[in-house]
Amino acid sequence: MEALIVSNILLWCLLIALAFAVMGLVRQIGVLHGRLAPAGALMVDKGVAVNEPAPQVTAADRSGRPVNFGYAGEKAQLLFFLSPTCPICKSLLPAIKSIAKTQAHRLDVIYVSDGDMDAQKALIAEHKLEDATYVVGPEVGMTYQIGKLPYAALIDNTGVLRAKGLVNSREHLDSLFETEHLGSATLQQFLHNSQHAHGAHNH
Amino acid sequence: MQPDPIFVIAAALAVAVILASAATHKLRAPARFASQLEDYQLLPQALVRPVARVLPCIEAVLAFALLVPAARQVAAFAAAALLAGYALAIAINLWRGRRDIDCGCAGPQQAQPIRPVLLTRNAVLVGLALVASLAPLSRALGVFDGFVVIAASAVALLIYAAADGLMANSPRLLKLIGR
Repeated sequence: MEALIVSNILLWCLLIALAFAVMGLVRQIGVLHGRLAPAGALMVDKGVAVNEPAPQVTAADRSGRPVNFGYAGEKAQLLFFLSPTCPICKSLLPAIKSIAKTQAHRLDVIYVSDGDMDAQKALIAEHKLEDATYVVGPEVGMTYQIGKLPYAALIDNTGVLRAKGLVNSREHLDSLFETEHLGSATLQQFLHNSQHAHGAHNH
Repeated sequence: MQPDPIFVIAAALAVAVILASAATHKLRAPARFASQLEDYQLLPQALVRPVARVLPCIEAVLAFALLVPAARQVAAFAAAALLAGYALAIAINLWRGRRDIDCGCAGPQQAQPIRPVLLTRNAVLVGLALVASLAPLSRALGVFDGFVVIAASAVALLIYAAADGLMANSPRLLKLIGR
């Protein structure tokens, strides 16, 4: 009888643990669905060409310190263009922050926004961006001809624009770094180049 | 045949927790609940706000009454009626063909359109409430019975939460695979 009671208690505890695990899995699937939300149509954009020197501009950040964009420096720069009124921008902030953290040794992440200062402050407080470089003002966005948000641009440490694009999901952000790695502005260009190289090899 | 008190008390506890969590979601965001209620288009405009205010209070009172042995039976019948009423509201809107409105079933993170499967969910909850309304066999309850009651209702609630999550995910999955 004693053994049966012990086994029963043990089974209940294990069943509760198992139910917790199942619930955790379901939650994780929900988060993944959120991250995989539809990306929206991509567009052909104009402005600064990839693999060309980035336009050089200096703007003051939130606390008035000057920030240089597009100059050669110690680290590469990731410019993230956002706005407090853009919900997709906010949903990308966790991904941007994790990139800033994991690549801190080689990458400076700069948040560029424009518009109402109170809304910016609320956004900064909500997403704990107090320590981040956060520029508010139209100059940078106009220089880089940003028409749509959220937008990101990657400038390497020699001041060359390596990748840019509309970023609607974590996947798009990762593809910026992939673009930098491959050295091609677009996937089509990369495929074209590799086909070309392949063809040359055969001859 | 009278059921063992463990079944009745565990069912009452599970229904009480589900109602209490529903009530807190509704009380914390009254405006959202009012707009969900309005979307169902079952009540005249003038009644939407008062009903939106009273429903969570009823849920909270029922949740509390389910835990009091003397009031359990009445509260369980009332909870079954309330849950059946929700099911009816969903069924009417499904019958009208309005499949795009938010169910408002679970918390704010789990917005999901109404679907027939939600009727099954409510049927299960009504069944649970009816189990809680049965008059149990009278026998002395020990510490071990208390443990089994709490463990059983905890497992039931966790599985309910998981099933709810799966139901909220399924429309998103269908969208993802393009159906």
